[in-house]
Amino acid sequence: MFDVLDMGASGLKAQRTRLDVIAQNILNADTTRSADGKVEPYRRKFATLVSGRSAGEPNKPGVHVGKVESDKAPYVPKFEPGHPDADKNGMVMYPNVDLSVEFVNAIEASRAYEANVNLMDVTKQMMSSTLRLIA
Amino acid sequence: MFIDRLINQGNAPLLEQWMRFTEERHRLIAQNVVNISTPGYKPVDLDEGKFTAMLRDRADARRNAAPGRVRFDDIGGEASNAEHGILFHDGQNRSMEQLMTDQAKNALMHNMVVELLRRQFSSLEAALKERVS
Repeated sequence: MFDVLDMGASGLKAQRTRLDVIAQNILNADTTRSADGKVEPYRRKFATLVSGRSAGEPNKPGVHVGKVESDKAPYVPKFEPGHPDADKNGMVMYPNVDLSVEFVNAIEASRAYEANVNLMDVTKQMMSSTLRLIA
Repeated sequence: MFIDRLINQGNAPLLEQWMRFTEERHRLIAQNVVNISTPGYKPVDLDEGKFTAMLRDRADARRNAAPGRVRFDDIGGEASNAEHGILFHDGQNRSMEQLMTDQAKNALMHNMVVELLRRQFSSLEAALKERVS
């Protein structure tokens, strides 16, 4: 039963990383420049979850974040001729982040996180119930 | 020999197998919960109906056999893909509601089995001590 707690911990870690990535997408929903100041809109990222406790332990049951990849969907053009990052046609390229999608994903990730917490609670309670046999 | 007969004649061996079953099922449900967002993951579960049928058959066989001849050690569940839920675009057929229900039902069953086993042990203890505690 102890390994179920490790499994739950792997789920918590994976869902927390997923939430971190979603938070990063929401924060950068309007970012049109890269860290070095170049005109390069932020590209949406997503965490891909892979079954298995960790990359080094694929046969142990659990879950881990396999990769954090960039979304290849096109940027969103907006007509804003006064914007400093506008091209010669007055178009500004905005990140390919859809806030509605991110919020839905955030709710899903936080519910999955809660489910993992609940799972660990139930496991603890089942273990203590089993221990009553020898108490 | 006497102790072995004493412990293996009542409901204890059935309850012991049932406890193993609920623990194994809990492990599989946990696996399904942690992989709720893993693309392509197919939930696995144990069939409670099949397990209880096997247990019932073995209990019936024991009733007609000589004491100690019928054992329960080899009864277990067989893990298979759970068929509930709709198929999502990522190849998952996740159902959080079903998982939570299964988890709660299984935990309750486990607690009930543990409690029955505990009572059986305490009545055995009382019989051995020849006084009710």
